[in-house]
Amino acid sequence: MTISAERPTEVATHSASPYSSKKPRGWFSQHLGTALLAAIIGYLIGHWLGNHIAWNYPTTAATGQNYVANFLALLFGVVGWLLGIGALNYPLAKLVGRSGEHEPEEADGISKYFRYSTNHKTVGIQYIVGVLLFLFTAGLLAMAIRTELLNPTTHVFSPDTYIKIVSEHGTIMMMMATSIIVGPLGNYFVPLMIGSRRMAFPRIEAFSFWTFTAGYMVIFSALPYGGFPTGWTGYAPLQTQAGPGMISYLFGFAVIGLGMMTAGFNVAVTIVNYRAPGMTWSRVPVFVWGILATAALMTLATPALFAAGTFGLLDLVNQTAFYVNEHGGSSYLWQNLFWFFGHPEVYIMAIPGFGVVGELLPVFCRKPLFGYKVSAAGMIGVALLSFFVWQHHIFQSGINPDMRPLFMLTTEMISIPTGFIFLVGLGTMYKSKMRFEIPMLFSLALYFNFLIGGLTGVFISDVPVNVTLHGSFFVLSHFHYTIMGGLVFAFMAGLYYWLPKMTGKMMNKKIGLWHFWTMFIFFNLTFFPMFIIGMLGQPRRVFTYAKSLQGLNDFSSISAYILGFSFIIFAWNLMYSMYIKPEMAPANPWDSLGLEWQTATPVPRHNFDRIPVITNDPYHYAEPGATPLVDRGQSSSSSGYQA
Amino acid sequence: MSNTPEEVEFELRAHVGSLWTGGRLFIGIYTFLIASLAFSYFYLRSSNNSDLWRPNHVTAPTAYGWSIYGMMMGAGILAYFGQTRLRKGQVADWFVACWTGVGLGVVALFLQIWELVVLNFYPGSSGYASTFVGFVVFNIISLTLGTYWLETCVARAHRMGFEMGEGAVLANTSAGRSFRANVASMTYFWGFLGLSGTMFLLMFYVL
Repeated sequence: MTISAERPTEVATHSASPYSSKKPRGWFSQHLGTALLAAIIGYLIGHWLGNHIAWNYPTTAATGQNYVANFLALLFGVVGWLLGIGALNYPLAKLVGRSGEHEPEEADGISKYFRYSTNHKTVGIQYIVGVLLFLFTAGLLAMAIRTELLNPTTHVFSPDTYIKIVSEHGTIMMMMATSIIVGPLGNYFVPLMIGSRRMAFPRIEAFSFWTFTAGYMVIFSALPYGGFPTGWTGYAPLQTQAGPGMISYLFGFAVIGLGMMTAGFNVAVTIVNYRAPGMTWSRVPVFVWGILATAALMTLATPALFAAGTFGLLDLVNQTAFYVNEHGGSSYLWQNLFWFFGHPEVYIMAIPGFGVVGELLPVFCRKPLFGYKVSAAGMIGVALLSFFVWQHHIFQSGINPDMRPLFMLTTEMISIPTGFIFLVGLGTMYKSKMRFEIPMLFSLALYFNFLIGGLTGVFISDVPVNVTLHGSFFVLSHFHYTIMGGLVFAFMAGLYYWLPKMTGKMMNKKIGLWHFWTMFIFFNLTFFPMFIIGMLGQPRRVFTYAKSLQGLNDFSSISAYILGFSFIIFAWNLMYSMYIKPEMAPANPWDSLGLEWQTATPVPRHNFDRIPVITNDPYHYAEPGATPLVDRGQSSSSSGYQA
Repeated sequence: MSNTPEEVEFELRAHVGSLWTGGRLFIGIYTFLIASLAFSYFYLRSSNNSDLWRPNHVTAPTAYGWSIYGMMMGAGILAYFGQTRLRKGQVADWFVACWTGVGLGVVALFLQIWELVVLNFYPGSSGYASTFVGFVVFNIISLTLGTYWLETCVARAHRMGFEMGEGAVLANTSAGRSFRANVASMTYFWGFLGLSGTMFLLMFYVL
């Protein structure tokens, strides 16, 4: 069999590309500006079309709102956004049989970050900006919430406005958190860690990012539309009675869901197929195992959200009755569909954090990872079990009581594989020589925070306890401990660890320490009192509470302000370290054995000059005589910073 | 960047494997999507809130349903038949089968959209009506995706013939192998559409 040197995809050397990367791009070559322009034009066209269609509908006359126009405006806006950025160029070109060989090469310089890039490293950095934008937006809303809760009788906002701020905060945060690690760190580092030169489907990867940003804008549009009052959980029948902001919520979730499915799809296929020769499953880095488990959830759980959102939109726009009890529908249907996605969703947030700390601990403990297979099994086990626990979110909704013991059991069982992660961490740290660098500090903080969050989750999974604590600040604190205390801390650990690789610059250690300690201490001071507040009966999403709880609320609010300030410190550290006084990073500042650190900095376009041949896993610290990671006879490009 | 024959072959095999894995994973994603619809159907049917699951056993226009189903199955069978002929080197048979399949898919799509216009019940009149409208939306998406995938395969084959010569789709080149892997995944997807279409036909038009 003759193997032709002809290359199948755009990764191939372009023999006759009509475009030169050296030529400056025109003003209307596709970039963020054209995407915004096309989105605005699309929005206006959709709005006009909707008004044209539905101006005389009975519901339009009755409510004064034209949901058809609202929906079509957002739909056309998103399509315009994708057209404007160039996401649809290739799908349209395929209709006439074109392959990707005549696409322009990646732009030079900073403009590539504002374009549709098929370079996974560029997409990774785009995602960092995207998730930080989500985080800061929703963080500001959190500050507004804590300001309102300073006093139970003196109010900054009306009750209606307050619940809409709470809803927007929760929804943006949950949407951001779906991709906070898979997006930036997964996309950037998975190919490097498995020895691949590329992602399996680079255009789908880029599509996932630009869809993610479109989802952000859609959900943000809820505010000018008047917001939505349901919290991030969107329960019917309130959903069906809400204003046009509900369209933004439902459609935003559908768009974000599309982004999640495509991101998970791409990274899962890449991990399965593009592992370098010699990288058997038992040599795959634990971070990659975490991303794979997460990708499985992203691809298989998110369709339920997409379906739920679609049905909600049909109820509002087309007057169906999926969630309307009086017309043959059921509000419980939404709850079941939503939480069937919603519980795997929280593991989509937790598992990448486990993967990050599993990857970092051996580096900073200078010890092999304890129980590598247990760690991988734990993450896969959590992912699998997460499909069988969803009804613990609706114990108090009026479900069949006979269902409760089953879901209580499965929920308590899921703490077992989660416990594996802790055992692996403890085993790795035991008798190790720890280096308390900033990534390590954030990793240790994750273990501390997630222990509290995870244990309180076991309490709430118990049906009798759930009866008293459901809908209280106890639950709120539980999920902030797991999601923020776990995931966001892991994100920070990953950023501090991997930014030197991505940018060639070290994050400032002194500012980083200020950031870490401020964030860790005031995170705990903000959320721990909420367990007490919750046990003393304060419900969530309500802006009045018992006067006796004002002291604790004020303590929590002031701590929250300082916690918010810690993110300003982080932002300052980013600016300072990247632009104001950058300190060049050595090739491998952490002395990591990971394959991603064996490449040059900045990482070349195709990652590896030669596809590496893997001969061992990257955790053999302090094991003299261990087989090296890579067969140096066919090694990757030389390491060392290249200006 | 080094491009030894071994590396080229490795990357080609990874790419072909990705098309295989991706095709199956895509079916997995789609399964969970339509399972959500099926769940909704059975959930609303069993809860029968306000006795409005399916008053008077209302049914969507059956002629439309069977026609759309028939065309969908036809497109799927033709895609499978076409692939079988392609494997035997009969490219012309493959073109005829697949272009016919594309035509059936397009007609089915238009009929499916039109069915919404001629519905004999109000969308929110019952649980059945609501889930049926949801099914129509998903079926429109399915037909669009399936027909798009089929058409792009055929279009790609034509272009390969123009650019690389007759028989390019059968050649053992990287483009040829990639193309055939894509066709295999597409055929698999149509098989899945046939199965799911049968299930929904039974649910909405027969039972």
